[in-house]
Amino acid sequence: MTNREKYKQAFSAIHISDEFSLEVRKMTNTSKKQKFNRMVAVIAVCVLLAGGSTVAYAADLGGIQRTIQLWIHGNQTEATIDFNTDGSYEMEYFDSEGNAAQQGGGGVAFNADGSERPLTEEELLDLLDDPDVRYEDDGSVWIYYFDQKIDITDKFDDNICYVQISNGEETLYMTIKYQNGWSSSPNKYPSPSSFN
Amino acid sequence: MRQPVEVLIEKYKNNIYVIAFNVCKNAQDAEDVVQDTFIQYISIKKDFETEQHIRAWLIRVAINKAKNKNNTFFRRNTLPLEDYMEALIFESSESSESSESSELSELFETVMKLSEKYRVVIHLFYYEDYSVNEIADILKISVSNVKVRLSRGRRLLRETLKEVWENDE
Repeated sequence: MTNREKYKQAFSAIHISDEFSLEVRKMTNTSKKQKFNRMVAVIAVCVLLAGGSTVAYAADLGGIQRTIQLWIHGNQTEATIDFNTDGSYEMEYFDSEGNAAQQGGGGVAFNADGSERPLTEEELLDLLDDPDVRYEDDGSVWIYYFDQKIDITDKFDDNICYVQISNGEETLYMTIKYQNGWSSSPNKYPSPSSFN
Repeated sequence: MRQPVEVLIEKYKNNIYVIAFNVCKNAQDAEDVVQDTFIQYISIKKDFETEQHIRAWLIRVAINKAKNKNNTFFRRNTLPLEDYMEALIFESSESSESSESSELSELFETVMKLSEKYRVVIHLFYYEDYSVNEIADILKISVSNVKVRLSRGRRLLRETLKEVWENDE
């Protein structure tokens, strides 16, 4: 026997249980439920977006629109961003496959006296330069940071992954909890218990 | 192109189970991976070029899901590999001599003792009949990296198995 024949023969000893096909029906149901959940989520997001835009229109927040080159999922992309004076932004760009994509967000910062203020345009741009952790459909996990695309699928230990990334000027220490958020610091790896 | 999931399950469930077992070293986890892999196929609207493309995608998803399972703290590990192996029956195609059966058992055990990165490449090459280029594409690593892993994996097998594993580089 050749090595290949021996290998196949040896691994023919393991096989999935005969009962597996009985679980197909259960699988199909699970999948439908997932689709339904996703539909509910999409509706919820639409309502939020519609609500948000109505408020913006009514209050006339005096936003500024800019066209900026950003790194999105490892590709340098031209994005049109509306920065609103309430610290929010809406961004539109074309992804690597030519599909129009929208993204929005925003936030507030706290002053020394504890009062809130909306994030400035500069602060929002800094946020957009942050690393992005993506969980792909094929189960792989990636970090996108500027032009870098780092596969971290194998780097989790007890659901925690520590990665050092750099944009050439600054080094960031990232701590990622599997499907449970991440944190970064320019000085040291943030403790997993310090976030989420 | 898409194929009905029932057809794919019938064709590939065992291949996916074996590669998942290869990574997880655990029967229950491997079955969960098979379930999760086919659920993933149903859940996404990805359009495939050929059936070979579907097969390669299923194997890639299964490997990633199995690795993710290994990373979870609450891994089931209900049955240690040694106990599971005791229940396996290794049958040679050429004869039923116990010496050949024990060689196959030894081969299985030696492969499972390799580190995961060598084990997966060896499995895709010898069990799934993928070329070095195809393995690089499935694992999203370079061709030279696949060659190195394959070569080191073979060497480790040869060192342990001696004459049971021929030099086929």
